[in-house]
Amino acid sequence: MRIALAGNPNSGKTTLFNAITGKVERVGNWPGVTVEKKEGPVKASLNRGKKKMTVVDLPGAYSMSPYTSEESITRDFVQKESPDIIINIVDATNLSRSLFFTSQLMELGIPVVIALNKSDLIQKKEIIIDTELLSEILGCPVVRTISTKTTNNGLGSLVEALQKISNEKKKQQPLRIKGAKTNATKEEMEQIDKNRFSVVNEIVERVERRKIDTSRHTFQDRIDKLVAHKWLGIPIFAVIIWLVFSLSQSWVGPWLADVFVGWIDGFYSLVERAMGGNVSPVLSTLLLDGIIGGVGAVVGFLPLIMVLFFMLALLEDSGYMARVALVMDRYFKKIGLSGKSIIPMIVSTGCAIPGIMATRTIKNERQRRTTAMLAPFMPCGAKLPIIALFAGVFFGDNAWVGTSMYFLAIIVIILSGLIIRRITGDTSKSYFIMELPEYRIPSVKRAVISMLNRAKAFIIKAGTIILICNAIVQILQTFNWQFQVVGQSAPDTSILASLATPLAWIFIPLGFGIWQFAAAAITGFIAKENVVGTLAVTFAVTNFINVEEFALVTGSTDVMAVFGIGAIAGLSYLVFNLFTPPCFAAIGSMNSEMESPKWLWGAITFQLGMGYVLSFLVYQLGTLFTTGAFGAGFLGGLIASLVMISYVVFLMRKGSTRIIKSVNEEVA
Amino acid sequence: MNISDCELHTEYLIVSVMTTEEDMKDFLFTLGCYPGERIVLISRLPSMYVVDIKNSRYSIDDNLARAICLREPGCVAPSSLEGRVV
Repeated sequence: MRIALAGNPNSGKTTLFNAITGKVERVGNWPGVTVEKKEGPVKASLNRGKKKMTVVDLPGAYSMSPYTSEESITRDFVQKESPDIIINIVDATNLSRSLFFTSQLMELGIPVVIALNKSDLIQKKEIIIDTELLSEILGCPVVRTISTKTTNNGLGSLVEALQKISNEKKKQQPLRIKGAKTNATKEEMEQIDKNRFSVVNEIVERVERRKIDTSRHTFQDRIDKLVAHKWLGIPIFAVIIWLVFSLSQSWVGPWLADVFVGWIDGFYSLVERAMGGNVSPVLSTLLLDGIIGGVGAVVGFLPLIMVLFFMLALLEDSGYMARVALVMDRYFKKIGLSGKSIIPMIVSTGCAIPGIMATRTIKNERQRRTTAMLAPFMPCGAKLPIIALFAGVFFGDNAWVGTSMYFLAIIVIILSGLIIRRITGDTSKSYFIMELPEYRIPSVKRAVISMLNRAKAFIIKAGTIILICNAIVQILQTFNWQFQVVGQSAPDTSILASLATPLAWIFIPLGFGIWQFAAAAITGFIAKENVVGTLAVTFAVTNFINVEEFALVTGSTDVMAVFGIGAIAGLSYLVFNLFTPPCFAAIGSMNSEMESPKWLWGAITFQLGMGYVLSFLVYQLGTLFTTGAFGAGFLGGLIASLVMISYVVFLMRKGSTRIIKSVNEEVA
Repeated sequence: MNISDCELHTEYLIVSVMTTEEDMKDFLFTLGCYPGERIVLISRLPSMYVVDIKNSRYSIDDNLARAICLREPGCVAPSSLEGRVV
């Protein structure tokens, strides 16, 4: 039995889905968190019947006429994939709007069960709803639910209602709406929908009593005035973002990471002792340095990532995300984007894949594609180990390095937005509208669940993709092309070195023309965590976190000596890894959201160019300021950068001609 | 008049919705923002307005605010508001 979960955005569908199936899908307090459908069976503790019940969580929709692409998923699913039952989640605090969609769902003939969610809030807001009367009028069961609660949440009654209605096998009767018919013209449809709202209004008048006027000025409105203040809005946003990243990268994260690495070190010694001296040196190096060392170097940073996800979950649960969108709208409009573009960017600081998918809530195609292209510039959780490593090795764990990378990302996004707007020649104006969810105190429990879920995914990734990559890297650097073991004195003759060396040439103007760095940058495209793993394996540094000193990196001067580059080149390498294209999985997401090979390849080329030019500028200007002369390979890098910049300028000029042409046409 | 001329926390009736995108007009309809319905301005923020439509708060930019024409409260026939939950 397939059950669809449908309802207005931010009515709590995914929270209910998680509660009913025991899954841990992403939730948040803003409309548009869920952008794809997800399935899961009703958990055994709730489903006492014999029938298997599969629930399908759908993106929120206000009606059957989709406005954005994620709403189409919902419409298409309920219309075309004919689920057996629809659970229509209705926000109990907002009957008058929600029932519009309900009435449309009832016309599909599929049995509907209403989950009157957020029932706890109606007491607070002094709303009285006659559930029995509502059920009688609609002709379907209405169950009060509080999906955020673990007990007395109404979910048992909801599942019982589903089982009962499934046994009855009755078709859902629609509400009587004047003029309702299939194949209505646009004008007729407008009239039908007006009549539909009149019917809904009548129902609400009969079943609902409100003591408090919703349009009065509330405490929430006062908070909005402050967080969206003309001058304070941006500083408040900056402080909040700084807190999120500082806690994960400078305070709590490193402390936890230190404890954690102690365990990994212990494990390393344990395996070393267990193997004894009888194991072949090649196998021992592969296992200890390649697998445990490489994976351990990455996993050591897990606590940083966990703290970041915990903080992000708190932020997403608070209701502030929707406010960031409205604060940023006026600035983002100037670069041809909308305030809604900021949400995918913040989500991308966790992982770019959900970030890119979150662009579905953006209506304008160019804005959506541009946002999908720019969101990966925000450093994701997987890039956190790279930031932490380089901040530790070259900058004495200074917090400003990490935080400044996020602000540099914002500058890069603004600059890129302007460039892309000019290239596309699109100056069309768009509207901004966003439902403002109520602020709430973020749930620590939900944040912990989200954090543990991400940690699990990270460990699985470390134990699979990263482990395999590190093992391959270790093998490739152990042998030469004749499959002879390469001695420690001649590591440059290994297969890996010979593959990466030609690439290293390209990086000379960026300050890191060393094959190990080239190899790490390449494995980084498979997963960004690989950068740290590959550096650990190729430079034979087994861990980067010091257990004695509570500092993030083992004897940073030692590591710096092994790396053989200075601080400026280190910063340049960091910038290169942060601003070149994201991992392959994220590129896959870009492909599906952009729906255009031209845009996808344009985006990848642009990201590559951006990473290269920025890195070149950081290294060469940094070297010029510190030593008074340009660094190695300046001329070659300058020519390459100028070629890339000239091409972008050429495209921008071409785009401007399009703007002038379209303006002239409009005037004519 | 439009939202930018409204007084705060006062009920107005929507006269017309004149957006350049037809899709946006349809979308606003599904939220209950269409001629004859009520709308209340909650607060003015920089380049943004917070409005209450059918017991929900929305932030809309000044572009959209200008597209929604309203009728002054004084011009509203009392009967048209009867029966609405306030």
